[in-house]
Amino acid sequence: MLHLALRMAAHRFTALLAVACAVLGGAALLTGTGVLAESGLRSQLPPGRLGGADVVVAADQEFHPSGDLPVALPERATVPADLVGRLTRVKGVTAAVGDIGFPAALIDARGRVLPAEDPRTLGHGWSSTTLLPQPRIEGHPPSARDEVAVPASAGVRMGDRIRVVAGTGEPSSYRVSAVVDAPEAGVYFADGTARRLSGREGTAGGGRGGPREGTVDLIGLRVAPGAGEPVAAAVRDQVAGTGLKVLTGADRGTAVGPGVSAARSLLILLAGSLAGILLMIVGFVTAGALGVSIAGQRRDLALMRAVGATPKQIRRLAACQATVVAVVSAVPGIGLGYLLAGKFAQALVDRAVLPRGLPLTFGPLPALVTLVLMLAVVQVSARGAAWRTSTLPATEAVAESRSEPRAPSRARTLTGLLLIAAATASAVTPLLVRTALGATSTSIAGIMAAIGLALSGPALVKGAGGAVLRRMRPGALAPSWLAVVGMRAYALRFAGVISPPAMGVVFVLTYTFTQTTVLAATQQDIRVGTLAQHTLSAPQLGGLPPDTASAVRRLPGVEAAEPVTTTTAVWQYKEFGETTTESASAMILSPGGAGVYDLDVRDGDLARLKGATVAVSSEAAGSRDAGLGRRVELILGDGARVTARVVAVYARGLGFGPLVLSQDLAAGHTTVPAPQSILVRTDGSAAAEERLAALAGEHPGVVLSDTDPGPGTGQDTPPEVWINLAVIVVLLAYLLLSIANKLVASTVQRRTEIAALRLVGMTPGQVRAMMRREAVAIAATACGAGLVLSVVPLALLGQGFLGHPWPSGPVWLLPVTVLVVTVTAFLTIELPTRKALRTPPAEALRTL
Amino acid sequence: MSAWGLGRRTAVRAEPVERAPAVAVSQVSKVYPGGVRALDNVSLTVWPGTFVAVMGPSGSGKSTMMHCAAGLDSPTSGSVRIDGREIAGLDETCRTELRRDRVGFVFQAYNLIPSLTLEDNITLPLRLAGRSPDRQWMHALVERVGISGCLGRRPAELSGGQQQRAAVVRALVAKPAVVFADEPTGALDLHSAHQILQLLRGLVEEFHQTVVMVTHDPAAAAWAHHAVVMADGKVIDALEAPTAARLADRLIALGGR
Repeated sequence: MLHLALRMAAHRFTALLAVACAVLGGAALLTGTGVLAESGLRSQLPPGRLGGADVVVAADQEFHPSGDLPVALPERATVPADLVGRLTRVKGVTAAVGDIGFPAALIDARGRVLPAEDPRTLGHGWSSTTLLPQPRIEGHPPSARDEVAVPASAGVRMGDRIRVVAGTGEPSSYRVSAVVDAPEAGVYFADGTARRLSGREGTAGGGRGGPREGTVDLIGLRVAPGAGEPVAAAVRDQVAGTGLKVLTGADRGTAVGPGVSAARSLLILLAGSLAGILLMIVGFVTAGALGVSIAGQRRDLALMRAVGATPKQIRRLAACQATVVAVVSAVPGIGLGYLLAGKFAQALVDRAVLPRGLPLTFGPLPALVTLVLMLAVVQVSARGAAWRTSTLPATEAVAESRSEPRAPSRARTLTGLLLIAAATASAVTPLLVRTALGATSTSIAGIMAAIGLALSGPALVKGAGGAVLRRMRPGALAPSWLAVVGMRAYALRFAGVISPPAMGVVFVLTYTFTQTTVLAATQQDIRVGTLAQHTLSAPQLGGLPPDTASAVRRLPGVEAAEPVTTTTAVWQYKEFGETTTESASAMILSPGGAGVYDLDVRDGDLARLKGATVAVSSEAAGSRDAGLGRRVELILGDGARVTARVVAVYARGLGFGPLVLSQDLAAGHTTVPAPQSILVRTDGSAAAEERLAALAGEHPGVVLSDTDPGPGTGQDTPPEVWINLAVIVVLLAYLLLSIANKLVASTVQRRTEIAALRLVGMTPGQVRAMMRREAVAIAATACGAGLVLSVVPLALLGQGFLGHPWPSGPVWLLPVTVLVVTVTAFLTIELPTRKALRTPPAEALRTL
Repeated sequence: MSAWGLGRRTAVRAEPVERAPAVAVSQVSKVYPGGVRALDNVSLTVWPGTFVAVMGPSGSGKSTMMHCAAGLDSPTSGSVRIDGREIAGLDETCRTELRRDRVGFVFQAYNLIPSLTLEDNITLPLRLAGRSPDRQWMHALVERVGISGCLGRRPAELSGGQQQRAAVVRALVAKPAVVFADEPTGALDLHSAHQILQLLRGLVEEFHQTVVMVTHDPAAAAWAHHAVVMADGKVIDALEAPTAARLADRLIALGGR
């Protein structure tokens, strides 16, 4: 069987080339996505500044819902400080260090902040240097309150004085007591100073330490040579039941920075959102290419039936051949996929979507999964494509293979029309659910409708062709007349040719416009909902000084100034009787939040955001049984379980997310206690703005910006949109392969017809004219059908998200798509036609 | 009344001076790339109103000769005149136009366009030429061949004999100078084949048409006025009013060489 399959394959090299390309591209895309997914699950940061610790004890930075993937928690969860003392006594431990990280920033002589990878946790106690991997330390440990050790990269020398913003306070002058040369070295203070600065200990003056008093971020242990494993086991016994994790080796990387590790989950999210559409399109393209290839061999297969092959053997032959091609082309495709994933991850890092230094995991799993998936697709498509020929009586199969026009079956037409109707009905979702998730139903509806078109297409084409033919003037030119007659008679073939480009048009239009419409609606929500004109932030300091808000409020002309921080919260709720876990970004707002944001509160009042309270979006309130006065159970960013009362329900959930936490609820559950930003609403006068600018200017690292960056800056384009647009381009290129293949194959198949027409007196010019008219008809029908199928879902999307029945997005997309489809159709028909015309007609007929 | 000539031989019958031959092939050779000499210095003249059969075993060059004579293919050397017009040196489009106007074809595989009705198939050459059909002539032909009842049907709905009769009408509808028939009975049963041959002979007799038929079947060739036997790319014999038995003997003798 294999031998036969290969022999036949050699004869149909060009048709199989398209299958090979489809499989290669599909394998590359699937493997790439697989690598992203695996990295999201398993990739680990290098241990970095913990490289010198043999064992690390840290809190679990993941929430583990039952029966679901773990959810990353980005805020540092703490470890009780008294554990340090207990672990010191474990046999084999030579040093136990309670590591604490807090915001710190060095300011150079010109008042500029020295850049650092993560200023939010740059500050540490001196004892943490014990955990550095082979540091070169010059100087003596900081002991006085105004002494500090700085990384060598700061470029200052021992004994110099340097201004430091520590723990988001005011900058003050420190003497450099030591220079630490190690990768990822931070700024080190005397241990007592560090504890106070990070709010882990009360001040000498009797000040309270804050909600994280008596904790450390993690505990690093150094052990006697060779004692790593026994110590780790002993420590595990010690911490059993506390939920703390004991990490050794490469696992230590997860403890370095929970915020950074949490970025991994973006990779899973990304892979998850890609997987569905990718599988659909890879299946469509591969099945299409195989269908073309097997249609080309139908006569051979039919003749084999005639000489005694059983239907099963025919299908096995087709599947065998396809499998060989698939395996051969999947191997380089998988290799390409690994490269692609690397490039893609790099692009994400460049756009600051992914943290630098997060390595990809290149395991064998994505390759295996890809291979299995591609083989499954190929087997099913090949057997499906050979089904009809294999089950016909042998003699009929030979007759059928002469590609007489066939009538499209009624069941097929009906299924297709039902699918289109169902797709259109499902497109109303954005009217009901105004979330990014609800918007995805638009593109799904579009693609479903395109598949419906592929099924019902033949009947529709036949009807349309008949209508055109009846209207046609009797004096119409022969090529036009022939093109229309052929279109009607070969409705099946013609529809098969139209559906891939129509699907391409639908895909590009719905997918892109869904992205841009949701983006526009989100930005509109934010624009309308943001009353404040200005934002103060301090990304280089790790947070704003705590008294900034009150200082701003005292400025004349300032009407409101409220701290705003974004964190992550995990919300578990019942949906259809099942517990759903959703991790979402949540805004932390003070009771005065209404002064800077208008969230369009429908119920309750933001002023009641005190104590354990939250505000929720109306979508969340409705679907998660979280109306006013209800209690919701949440897991905060550091893994703490809390119960909070809903005090307000707001409508602008698209722009501001499903959840707003009160400051009191979130206090102590964020890595940095200081606010990330302060939103300022002024009376709009230039004087107020000047005073605000002056205030920001007095504080190094504090940045004043406008809340509305103005249209066209693209500053707020979220990475998902950018990623999705990149995906569209890649998938469109892949779809074009399928379109081109189908058109070339269908033109090549018509050599007999072209030869027969030439024998009865059609000149080459007339043949070309006829084929060109067909190309125009194909392009026009495909674009028209694609447009019609996209219009309803997009209108509903626009109505739901923007309040007008059209989407938002680049207008040029439509003409460009039409142009690409037309040029593709034209080229892929013109070139094979010219080739067919080079063979004398009598010879063309004889060789068939 | 008309005559045919072969190679160096002189015309057998008195030829009417005012009329040109329907087809005049003179000293035509065809060499395919790779050096295969399919035709070797062949000459053949077909006078209007005659039915000529070209016979020969497979590979004798009879199909190539027909393709060259009909303007489907261009010879490597020599001259081909159809209805007095030289076609050597014409490009594909000019040859097609000439064929459309002056030459009709009937093929073994009928070669009707499956998507068109019989009537559309029949009028297709005229439509391509931008001419309107002579309805009277067409109906006369349709009546004569006996397919007037199925003009609205598609080829797939008809028997092979019916399709071939439609192909004969299509070949004649433009009133060509000559009709070439390439194994026209090769795909038909005995009865249908008989009908087609009778039809071709009848059209020559009644409507003064000219038919050149390529066949390897002596029984089919016996319907012609004259038969030419080819072998190895050359014309080796010519028989007048051939009988199936004589032709069969001739071919068997060739096969035994």
